Amino acid sequence: MASSRDDFIIAIRSAFLKKSTQQKFSLLTLVFISVFIIVLSSLELKVIKFIKVGINEFVYRSSFVVSIPENLLISTFSEISEYTTFFNKYKKNKDELDQFKSKNISNEIILNENKELKELINNYVSSSDKLLAKIIVDHNSPFLKSIIINKGSKDDIKIGTNIYDQSYLVGRVIEVNYKSSRVLLLSDLNSNVPVTIAPQNIQAIITGIGDNNGKIKYIKDGLSEKLENDSIVYTSGTGAIFKSGVPIGKLKILKNEISTELKVQFYSDFSQLKYVFAEILTNTPIQNLDNENTNNQKKNPIDAKVQILEDEIEIIEDTNVKFKEENENLKVKINDLNDQVFDLNNEITRQKEKINQFDLDKEELEFLRLNLIYSHKCQTKKLFSTGFKVGTPEYKKCILNKGKKVND
Amino acid sequence: MTSLRSKGSFLKFYSWLPLIILFISVFNEFDFNYLNLDYFSFNFPFILIFFFTLKDFKNFDYILVFIAGLFNDTVVGLPLGVSSLSYILICIATSYFRNITIRPNPIKDWFYFLFVVSLINSINYSILTLFFSFNLVLMSYLVNTFFTFLFYIIFVSIFKFYLKTLND
Repeated sequence: MASSRDDFIIAIRSAFLKKSTQQKFSLLTLVFISVFIIVLSSLELKVIKFIKVGINEFVYRSSFVVSIPENLLISTFSEISEYTTFFNKYKKNKDELDQFKSKNISNEIILNENKELKELINNYVSSSDKLLAKIIVDHNSPFLKSIIINKGSKDDIKIGTNIYDQSYLVGRVIEVNYKSSRVLLLSDLNSNVPVTIAPQNIQAIITGIGDNNGKIKYIKDGLSEKLENDSIVYTSGTGAIFKSGVPIGKLKILKNEISTELKVQFYSDFSQLKYVFAEILTNTPIQNLDNENTNNQKKNPIDAKVQILEDEIEIIEDTNVKFKEENENLKVKINDLNDQVFDLNNEITRQKEKINQFDLDKEELEFLRLNLIYSHKCQTKKLFSTGFKVGTPEYKKCILNKGKKVND
Repeated sequence: MTSLRSKGSFLKFYSWLPLIILFISVFNEFDFNYLNLDYFSFNFPFILIFFFTLKDFKNFDYILVFIAGLFNDTVVGLPLGVSSLSYILICIATSYFRNITIRPNPIKDWFYFLFVVSLINSINYSILTLFFSFNLVLMSYLVNTFFTFLFYIIFVSIFKFYLKTLND
């Protein structure tokens, strides 16, 4: 028993401390160094940060070079598969393009409106430059979903800079080096994005689940029932981490017998990213902008607001005048129409009179026709008279009854 | 003379091949993620380090393994030192296993590898979640461990062929 314990201790000691002829460090030393580095990297010291930035720059570039053959292989594979579905994609894209062109105009109007409103709220104009960045490392690790781009602090990239694929949000910068940065993708488990779901206008928080979908992590109780399939999910801007109004994906409601799962299908395919846009935001106060653009210098944002309100009043007054003019025109039109109605009523009366006259004439004509036939039956005779005197109502009645004498 | 020299330099390169492959794999990650298989991944450096340290391969320097770990952390985005610690723990495990083994058996090695990989992935997971508050999918780690275990036996046959050609 004691001997086996001794053997174990000897084996352990040997494993930790014994250096082979080729080895320069014992394993125990390297374990200590590893732990020391882990502790240092968790402390966020400035010196460590600089060393880390140096290592990152070297490793990212090396990784990019080493990855060239594999990337070539992957791109060849995807290109071949793209060629096979080329025509169908072309047709689909053409249809989509037509739709987008028509939508684009209304979008531009909304964007301008949105910009004006934001200026009113924030007192500054937010202008942005989108910087094209190449992805130099994209290993799509099973544990962490991040990419490395070839822009860093040299290009004004900061921690939190939003990263786009065309106009779709793909993530934000979490680590900045001099000429490279790490972007945490929306698909990562550690990514949380405050969003608005349209058209229901419901606020929620989405998180990544590792693949090309996200899931709704938080939504107020009872609101999830109002959600519909294919609703649009875009950033709400809450918390000022992400810019508001940036599209992310579409909502997919997966229902089964036990529960309902709310997933977000991202617009962008993160595994196919080659280039991305980094948005560099610069906030210019309205006051300065006005000074640059006009000679009328505004002393503070309140003046700017007052000016805007005065302009609004002027527009409203102009509109009122136009409404009054229109009102007058309508009144004249109503009078004309009333005259026309009066004329038409007269015409109707005349027509009615004519119809009555016609009816009377028709009755008279019938009487004369019957008079010719039945006058001898209804006329009075000198002897033994049983008829009526001509012209009396009784005579007329008798004629109309075809000679039949009806006693009252 | 020239042929002898060129043969010598090739032999030197050939003998350093495992370390070169280790560095390429940490820079590049042989992950096959473009196959779009859910959760599929395996840890090639673990297999490589386990095999060559178990065989006490002369050019497999611990300090270079340690540096490879640092590079892996940088590429993957893990806190510095986590992968280095994992790799060094594999070296310790193999060193211990080598000391207690009198008659080597590939099947025993294989199952010992499963134990070591499971242990190291658990340590890795614990450090990342407890000390660095990372959100990680446990299933990914389990599947990674399983596939790394499965692929070990395939790569071992290739590595054995390599050692045989080197000795010849």
